[in-house]
Amino acid sequence: MLVPLVLLVAALCLALAGWALWFVVADRAVVLRQLWGGAVVEGALVVQAVVLAVVQATGDQDVDGWLLWGYVVTQLLVLPLAAAWAFAERTRWSSVVLLVAALTVAFLELRLLQIWGM
Amino acid sequence: MDGSTDQAPARRATGAGGGRLLVAVYGVLALAATARGLYQVGTKLSEAPLAYLLSLLAGLVYVVATVALARDLRALAWAAVAFELVGVLGVGTLSVVDVGDFPDETVWSRFGAGYGYVPLVLPFVGLWWLRRTGRSAPGVDAAPPPAPPAVG
Repeated sequence: MLVPLVLLVAALCLALAGWALWFVVADRAVVLRQLWGGAVVEGALVVQAVVLAVVQATGDQDVDGWLLWGYVVTQLLVLPLAAAWAFAERTRWSSVVLLVAALTVAFLELRLLQIWGM
Repeated sequence: MDGSTDQAPARRATGAGGGRLLVAVYGVLALAATARGLYQVGTKLSEAPLAYLLSLLAGLVYVVATVALARDLRALAWAAVAFELVGVLGVGTLSVVDVGDFPDETVWSRFGAGYGYVPLVLPFVGLWWLRRTGRSAPGVDAAPPPAPPAVG
């Protein structure tokens, strides 16, 4: 249950990163539609957090809660920061920032797998 | 053409143009290292107090570096980036030579291998960027940078 979900979120992040990379190459600023894409990823992260909480509460998984939830909370912060940046900075560099942010969340997803011992 | 070519002729702001990328990467590292440092100090300080306090300090200095680069606080940025360079080289070396008090879990351990060596590369890029943007055009050394043109 958890592994496919995490991989799905990571794939969404990579898709968003690819979209942002395209805009970097094309020298364009982030557009609103990309932020909606980011919102979809953010929504998936929230779903993931709920699933993690339920699995952790009901299962007997031996996992370091502080570490796990540190990652989960950090993940939720990254894309909103990039979105705020996109509003403030109307150049291609907002696309660079979105690219970095999306890759960061994808990387954090992989760390999440390791922490959970999946 | 990108936004970086129409900057003021004297000093360029450290957060402008390609500096945005630097600020973004520093921001990610600041977030990652500070969160990790807080976690380590909060939950298992007694296991390796020196390493974990350094870990938290590293995170806080990344926050300082991020803000300094974004706000064009040049002296502060120099200090913070130089501190990180010393930190990653010092702690990296210590962690390789003597594993004793330096678990693999701090941002600087093994020269930042756990973070794709980004902590090792970033200070060099940061210093290069500070030097590059700090270079004044001839004859305008003392002059304050002119007001930026209004950009719509």
